[in-house]
Amino acid sequence: MEAANTPDDFIQAGLAAYGIEADEVDLAVIGAAHQLFWPAILELVALDTSQAPAERNPDLSQAPPR
Amino acid sequence: MSEALDLSLREQAAAIATGEVDAAELLEATLARIEERNPALNAVVETFPERSREMLAAAPAGPLHGVPVVIKDEWPLPWRAQRFGAAEMLATVEPGESGPYRALRDAGAVIVGVGNMHELGAGSTGNVSVYGPARNPWDSERCPGGSSSGPAAAVAARLVAGSVGADGIGSIRYPAAYCGLTGLKPTFGRSAMDGHHMAAVSTTIVSGALCADAADCRLLDSALFGEELVAGDAGGLRIGVIAGEVSEDVDPAVREACESAVEDLRRETGGTVREVEIPELAVATLATILIANSESLGGVTPERLNDLDPELSPLARGLLKFRVLLPAIATVKSHQIRTIARRAVASLFEEVDVLVCPTVPAVAPPLEAPVVELPSGTLSADEANVRGGALANLTGIPAISVPVGSAEGLPVALQLQAAWGRDELLLDAAEAIERANGRRWVEATPPPARGAEPLEA
Repeated sequence: MEAANTPDDFIQAGLAAYGIEADEVDLAVIGAAHQLFWPAILELVALDTSQAPAERNPDLSQAPPR
Repeated sequence: MSEALDLSLREQAAAIATGEVDAAELLEATLARIEERNPALNAVVETFPERSREMLAAAPAGPLHGVPVVIKDEWPLPWRAQRFGAAEMLATVEPGESGPYRALRDAGAVIVGVGNMHELGAGSTGNVSVYGPARNPWDSERCPGGSSSGPAAAVAARLVAGSVGADGIGSIRYPAAYCGLTGLKPTFGRSAMDGHHMAAVSTTIVSGALCADAADCRLLDSALFGEELVAGDAGGLRIGVIAGEVSEDVDPAVREACESAVEDLRRETGGTVREVEIPELAVATLATILIANSESLGGVTPERLNDLDPELSPLARGLLKFRVLLPAIATVKSHQIRTIARRAVASLFEEVDVLVCPTVPAVAPPLEAPVVELPSGTLSADEANVRGGALANLTGIPAISVPVGSAEGLPVALQLQAAWGRDELLLDAAEAIERANGRRWVEATPPPARGAEPLEA
């Protein structure tokens, strides 16, 4: 399987995979959102968080257990 | 009766309790004021005079007996389902007794109207709504802030003295800041939330009050919390100024007013000030956005996305579809970042009592072009505002926005955040700021409010 080469490929392929229709305006908005968020998402995904497991069912009304 | 309309929330409650003001007359005068002032603001999207009169007739002798309030279009009422500021919510909603409704009813308050809000709660400006934008009473061409745009504009223009909003990523604090109000985002889970269409899945949204000052927020939030938020002493307050872009990439006039307010707070409380680092803040902001957006996906199906109401804004349509493309790995990591951020702020709260930064980095932007000019350049208001607003929702801690100055004739606000459960301390600290500046900024009122004092820097 070939990787998507551009954000447009990714967006259109992703939407098509779900069977989601998108017109030009939708694609423009999605493209802008992708441009805004994707670099930061890639940085987040690249973080090694293996030593920081998420709290199980965190009680957000309290400080985390020590 | 117009004098009673301009009383604070607590003064209205006290005047009704002593018989100085007749609650039925106050209700009718409030409805008349909404009719008079609201067309220019679009803060209140629906009134229901008969329902309000029925509520008053049945009102118990609670702490808010007979006091008119507005509630955001995010909560069902027994006679009206919420619309979430949108033509379509991708959720099944119906009229009912939401937690905030019951809290207000049981306190004796009278709901006089539903407040406008940013479409789907998805913006910090309030410039997009199925009802049309709400307008900022300080300048009707400016954004009132969002997503609790109507509740804020309604209080700022003195349609009512208090309103109930909701805060999923800053949605009480941004409009409080833009409209010159005090707005408390409670500790997660501490305020009434039942009946919200996302109550079962959201880990960021809370209900909370928007009022002119901290004492009124204390009264209204006590009703929402179901417990009295007792006034205390913020003496010896240890203040931590959050370092980095959230405090530094800020309009110079906003920065100056906030720095001055921090010094006021230190002096008034006999406290200390130090700078603190939250190195995870930028990634924590993204994590908050990803968690909040993933939590709203439950009602989404491709079929529904292909059949969206044509009245939904183009931006909302595109963003709803974009959410489907967010990768699961990013959401999983966001929950890990949440744990890291919670531990980081818990550690900081062993050294300081409050974390402070400007609520928003610039004053309310124009409705037509909601962008702000910062030292780093031009940013969308949403992108700029979320930097300071997200941490409290990610971690669950309480936060408050307090008016502390003006720039370009528009309000400037300082945000204070405290450890879990220390909502009362935030109110105490806000009152200390009010005392220090002679209540100058909480008593300033915009042009639509009768007897207005113009804002001066």
